[in-house]
Amino acid sequence: MNALVDPARFPGVWRAGDVDQAAPAGIASGHPRLDLELPGGGWPRAGLVEILHDGAGVGEVSLLLPALKAVAGEGRAVAWINPPHLPYAPALALAGVPLEACLVVRPASAEEALWSADQALRSGACGAALFWLPGKTDYAWLRRLQVAAEAGRTLAILFRSPSAAANATPAHLRVVVARREGLLQVSLPKRRGPPLVHPIALRLAA
Amino acid sequence: MLWVALELPALPLQLAERARAEPLPLVVAEGPAQRPLVACANAAAHAAGVREGMAVAAAKALVADLRSIERDEAAEREALERLAGWAAQYTPAVSIEPAGLVLEVEGSVRLFGGLAKLLAALRAGVRALGLQATLGIAPTPLAARAFARAEARGIPVRSCTTIAELPARLADLPLFLLEWPGRTLEHLADLGIVRVKDALALPRAGFSQRFGPEALGVLDRLAGRVPDPRLPFVPPARYRARLELPAEAEGVEAILFPLKRLLAEMEGYLRGRGAGVQELDLVLEHGRRSHTSLVLSFATPEREAEFILSIARERLSRLELAAPTVGLRLVAERLQPFAPREGTWLPGREERAVGRARLVERLAARLGQGRVFGIALAEDHRPERGWKNPPAASSRARFDGGARPVWLLNRPQRLVAGESGPSLQGQLKLLAGPERIETGWWDGEPVSRDYFVAANAAGETVWIYRERRDPGAWWLHGVFA
Repeated sequence: MNALVDPARFPGVWRAGDVDQAAPAGIASGHPRLDLELPGGGWPRAGLVEILHDGAGVGEVSLLLPALKAVAGEGRAVAWINPPHLPYAPALALAGVPLEACLVVRPASAEEALWSADQALRSGACGAALFWLPGKTDYAWLRRLQVAAEAGRTLAILFRSPSAAANATPAHLRVVVARREGLLQVSLPKRRGPPLVHPIALRLAA
Repeated sequence: MLWVALELPALPLQLAERARAEPLPLVVAEGPAQRPLVACANAAAHAAGVREGMAVAAAKALVADLRSIERDEAAEREALERLAGWAAQYTPAVSIEPAGLVLEVEGSVRLFGGLAKLLAALRAGVRALGLQATLGIAPTPLAARAFARAEARGIPVRSCTTIAELPARLADLPLFLLEWPGRTLEHLADLGIVRVKDALALPRAGFSQRFGPEALGVLDRLAGRVPDPRLPFVPPARYRARLELPAEAEGVEAILFPLKRLLAEMEGYLRGRGAGVQELDLVLEHGRRSHTSLVLSFATPEREAEFILSIARERLSRLELAAPTVGLRLVAERLQPFAPREGTWLPGREERAVGRARLVERLAARLGQGRVFGIALAEDHRPERGWKNPPAASSRARFDGGARPVWLLNRPQRLVAGESGPSLQGQLKLLAGPERIETGWWDGEPVSRDYFVAANAAGETVWIYRERRDPGAWWLHGVFA
C-alpha cells in the first residue's frame, strides 16, 4: 500500500495517517513542540482555524501572540473583530505585537460581526483576523469565512466554546486549549493528518 | 493624424434611458407644447409602431403605458461635455461635435497597446457609462464622423488609417452623411449626385459657385485636402455631474445602478486629469427643495468607480430615505493629484497601508466611525489609562511594567471575597504578586493598589487587585486570555 501511494511521487497527496508536511509553510507558532504537530510547521497563512476554549483566561489568545507578532512584522494588519473585552495595549506591546498593526472592530449585531469578519478576510489587508461571533454560527457562514480567508491570504481565527466540538466545521484546523497547573494543554481534534488526541503541554511566555 | 469619432445616435433617448436597467416604451418629445412630436422612440416603442415625427398623442394611442419626456438640449450638451471629460483619459485632444465627439489619437495608440485595444477600451467604456456609440476611424475628423454616422445607420464602412486610402473608402458613402443642408442635398440628388465620389469628381469652381464655398470646404476637409484643426475641449476644474432618474426611485437599491454610471464617468474624467478625489458630495434629490446629501471622504485620493460605489452603498444602506429619489448629483470641489498604484508588481508597504485604509473606510461606513479603532499605549501607570484608541494609531510610548493581561475590563468588577480570599467561579489561587501601582496623586484620581495574578480551578487566569485603603475588597481588572 505504501508503495502504491508514495507521497514522494505524488506531492499533492498526504496519507491520512501522517501529518501533512507538504502543506504550505505556516507561521511559526513560537512553540517548537506545537509546530511539529501543525501541518506546514505552523499556523496556516491562509485559512480558518477554530480555537475551542472553556471560559475566558485560559491562554486562548496568548497562544497566538507570537504568530500575530510575525504577521504584523510583515507589515500586515491584525484585526480584532468583536472581542469580548478591549485588547490591552501593554500586554500586546510586551508580546512584541506592533500596536499600529492592530485594528479593533466592535460591531453592534451578530450580522454585522459576520459581515466585518468577511470584509476583513477578503480585503487581503490583514495578515491575521481574530473573531468572536455571538450566537449560533451556521456551517454555510463558516464555509464562507474559510473561502474568504483563503482568498485574502489571511490567518483567520475563530474563538468558540467547546460545545461547538460536536458540530462539523469547514476549518482545516481545530484546536482545543485548556490550562492546567499553569501549563497550556493543546490538542488538535482536527487537522490534515491524524487528530492529536493527547494534549501537549506548552508554557506561555507571560 | 488619426481621428476617432464617437457618434451617439438618438442622444436624447439615450440620456433618458441610461438611468434605468430595463427598458419600457419611451419617447422623447420636441416641438410646440400644444402638439409635441416624437423626436426619438426607443426599441420598445418602435416595436409597438411608434415612429419619429409622429404626434405624441398618436403614439400614446398606440402604446397605453408610453412615457414621454421633453427634450432637453442643455442636458444633451452637458452630457457631451461630461463624455468629453471622460474621454480625456485617452487623449488630450477631444472636441465636441453636434451628436458626439472626435478624438485625435495618433499619440495615444502606442500608449494603449495598439489601435484595436484603444478602440476596445473606448467601446467598453462607453457601454459602462450606459451609452451607445458607433465609432469611426479616419485620418480626417469629418471622414471619421461620416464613418461613425454610416455605421449608426447600418451602412457598411471600412475604417481607414492613411490619407492615401481615404478617397477609395469614402467613394461609395451617401452624401447625406455630411450634414449638408437639406436643400443642397436635394439639389445634388436632382443632378444624380448621391455619393461622395460623384461630388469629389465635380469641377471645383462650378461646385463652389453652385453650392457655396462652405460646401466645397467640407469636401476639402473630408478628403484631407486642407487641414481641419479642432479646439480641444478643456474640462472644468471641478467635477459636477447630475443625472435625472426617469422614474422615482424608492429606497436605496434602485439608486445604485444609475450611481455606478455616474461614478464610471467621473473615473474617466479623473483619469484624464491624473487626479483623484478625497471628498465627494453625493446628493439625492427628492423633488422640489428636498434632498439628502452625503459626504464621502477617503484616506487617500480615490477614483475607482467600483470602490467608491462600495463605500457609497454602505453609507446609503444606513439611511432612511424620507421620499423617493428623482435625481442624483455628484460634486467634487477639490481634485487631488492621484498616485497610481495599479501596475505595481511588488506590493510594498504603501500598497498595504492603502489596502488597510480602504478596509477601515469600508467597515466604518457601515458600522459607524466609533466602532472601528486602533490601539496605542499611553504614558500612564494606571492600568485603565495605559491604552487609548486613536483613529489612526501611532504612538512612541513604551511600556515597561510586569505581566499584563490580554483583556482589560472596561470597569473593574467587584469580586466575592470571603475569609480565604477572593473567588471567581471557585476559589482564586494567587500565582504572582503583589505588584504595587501607586500613582495619579497629582490629578485627583489617585490609585494605590496591589495587583495579583490569580487562577481558579478551571485554569481561568485573571488580573485582580485590592485597594490599599480597603484591603478586604478585591476587584477583577483583567483576563489573561
